[in-house]
Amino acid sequence: MASEGRAQARHYVRSVPGAGYLLVVLILVFALFGEGFATLPNFLNIGVQGSVLLLLALPMTLIIMSEGLDLSMGAVLSLAGVVLASMLMNGRPLWVALAAAAGVGLAFGVANGVLVVTLGLPPFVATLGTLGIAQGLALVLTGGQSVVGIGDALPALYESRIAGVPFSIVIALLAFLAFWWMLSRTRVGSYVSALGGNREALTLAGVHVDLFHIGIYAAGGLMSGCAALLLTGRMSAGHPTAAIGLEFDAVAAVIVGGTSFERGNGTLAGTLIGVLTIGVLRNGLNVLSVPSSLQVASIGVLVIAALVVDSTIAALGRPAGSRP
Amino acid sequence: MRGISKAFPGVRALDDVSLSVDAGTVQVLLGQNGAGKSTLIRILCGAHHPDAGEILIDGRGVRLHSPADARRLGIAVIFQEFSLVPYLNLAQNIYLGREPRGRIPGTIDHRKMHEEARRLLDGLGLDADTRTPAHELGVAQQQVVEIAKALSQNARILVMDEPTAALSDREIARLFDRIRALKQSGVAIVYISHRLQEIFEIGDRITVLRDGRNVASLAPSETSVDGLVRLMVGRQVTTTWRERFCDTPGDVVLEVRDLHAANGVRAAAVDVNAGEVVGLAGLVGAGRTELARAIFGADRVVSGTVRVAGRPLARGPAGAVRAGVALAPENRKTEGLALMRSVQDNVLVAGLQTLFPAGWYRAAIAARAAADVISRLRIATPSPARLVRFLSGGNQQKVVVGKWLIAGSRLFIFDEPTRGIDVGAKAELYGVIDGLVAGGAAVLMISSELPEVVAVCDRAYVMRDRAIVGELKRRGSRSDNILTEENILRMAMHHGQ
Repeated sequence: MASEGRAQARHYVRSVPGAGYLLVVLILVFALFGEGFATLPNFLNIGVQGSVLLLLALPMTLIIMSEGLDLSMGAVLSLAGVVLASMLMNGRPLWVALAAAAGVGLAFGVANGVLVVTLGLPPFVATLGTLGIAQGLALVLTGGQSVVGIGDALPALYESRIAGVPFSIVIALLAFLAFWWMLSRTRVGSYVSALGGNREALTLAGVHVDLFHIGIYAAGGLMSGCAALLLTGRMSAGHPTAAIGLEFDAVAAVIVGGTSFERGNGTLAGTLIGVLTIGVLRNGLNVLSVPSSLQVASIGVLVIAALVVDSTIAALGRPAGSRP
Repeated sequence: MRGISKAFPGVRALDDVSLSVDAGTVQVLLGQNGAGKSTLIRILCGAHHPDAGEILIDGRGVRLHSPADARRLGIAVIFQEFSLVPYLNLAQNIYLGREPRGRIPGTIDHRKMHEEARRLLDGLGLDADTRTPAHELGVAQQQVVEIAKALSQNARILVMDEPTAALSDREIARLFDRIRALKQSGVAIVYISHRLQEIFEIGDRITVLRDGRNVASLAPSETSVDGLVRLMVGRQVTTTWRERFCDTPGDVVLEVRDLHAANGVRAAAVDVNAGEVVGLAGLVGAGRTELARAIFGADRVVSGTVRVAGRPLARGPAGAVRAGVALAPENRKTEGLALMRSVQDNVLVAGLQTLFPAGWYRAAIAARAAADVISRLRIATPSPARLVRFLSGGNQQKVVVGKWLIAGSRLFIFDEPTRGIDVGAKAELYGVIDGLVAGGAAVLMISSELPEVVAVCDRAYVMRDRAIVGELKRRGSRSDNILTEENILRMAMHHGQ
């Protein structure tokens, strides 16, 4: 039937977030005007630069879908990075140091979850508080100095390639697949959407809602801690302020990817596109030698442009007469 | 359920209520708004805990600490408020929390889930794709999904809270076929509906609640629609709260003709005259608040006219306020008041234009105006500087009235003005309303409490399905258009159509 075909087409148009169209346009524009943009090494470079951001943006997607927010991710990542570097500097094996970094992240994630879910604090306020604590701890531990002399194990691992693909891209892809699998193949996907869309329905379905909700924040902390592996590996050192503000890039990537703060609507594929769009934009502007101060503004423009494209698509794709 | 009692702060919702249902039968639960039906259901599904009483299944006492407990014991509920998740697809919604497991631990067997959802929806006559997100469906279709969700639990006790409220005749017929099949297989069904006719079609026993108590338990053959209405209303206590009713109304203040609004209100025609209190009665969800919001300009009007004192209203709430229309909303705490500000700030907020036309705030005039309103309405507050948060519900409602008095309003629309306030405060508020109309204002009052409508209003419109279905007068010409509780209920409940 013709109307069915149109409905299908409408479905596909809407299932691609606005950023998907923006990403294609950006790549075309930069490829045309930026010398050396459209080369394999540069694309790998974009992937490497986006890998840490993706590790944060994945759990951030779940948190935002549940109508929450985690502002502490960047600071927790900085702290975990410092912990990782310090332990390596003291001669501990890599896996012990990594476990410690992940543990620090997990602890902060659980703390965020308890503050938001159990104590009922607004996520913005609760995670702003833990942001301060994590940042402060990172500075105290290091005296504000970088932690250097972390040995060769981590830098060597970071520089390694698997089938020609840089290590950090492999890790980011594995994380993406794990999250994607969790959301599409297990109950987690339904529950996350229900948390934001209709918490009451989830309660009445007999699910331990609070525990699950805390678990989402815990995942955010854990991923922040694990991301220290890539961050510290890239810099071959631990900087107490290395990841300041990265949580805002993560939020931007999630929003650009079409996830909304309301009603439990969002996709991980959208977030991946969001991360890539931000990466391409940064990289492309660099290639075009745009001053870095202007690049900051460009992310803001990107977020707004993506939302405008999204609402335009939504308006075009909506069947006549139905309410949004 | 035996001897169930439950109190909420300020309200005794259930008092020694019992309800029993046999396997393979439909037990109908009937009562007015606020009779305690919903509270009873929420106790049965484990969402509320009773203060006293016991629940027995197969003769054995059970304790329901949570909805999960109820579900384990085979109790499923179709809720009146939709429990669907907007961005999950139909199959995910139907099996939320009970997803069929895949071979790998922790995974979902999507194919099985969609196949079974397909079978359930086919049985109910809904041919929507199971991969459609729930928010893309219309209300009737969502209701069908809700029913499918409850059926999928293979419950032994199935509670249906107004399952047919949004359904068309064809879908209702399908649902009744399913109910008969469920009876055959021995499921016990508790059925709540405001459509009295269908109760006779589907019910085996009828239990009537009134004011949180059992008033009757009988078979459909022992009664009639009129008999049920009488049981729900109860003994006629004619108390009136007004000094005297309005025999000779003044000029037309509000004139609404053929109003259609985006919120679903259809073809509404309303007149309110100076000196009159006009009721807007009907069941919860009949569209009364929506009509009030459309008149006030808070929801978009599609077609039709709203005139105040003969002049058409300008667009939006600002136009209504300028023409002298005041709205005291249902949720006074969130929509009508600034709880963290003082009584004086609250009563002045809508009248600043009137009091200070030059835009120059003068403390002395403000204080005098506030003091004047506080004494006129007898708002019980130690001082005008008291935060509204600390006032009682009745006094908060008076502050809302006072706000519009200062603004010089002549048409007051009250939405459930006495909800959640005690009897003494209600009487005071009726006095305030009486004072308003005595001073030449007009009042349109939405109320779900039938005795209140009969005791306070000069006339009343009755709404059902977002349209006005009748008008009742204190001095009606025939027995069926006099303002009584029975007549309101009869009109509101789809009788005689």
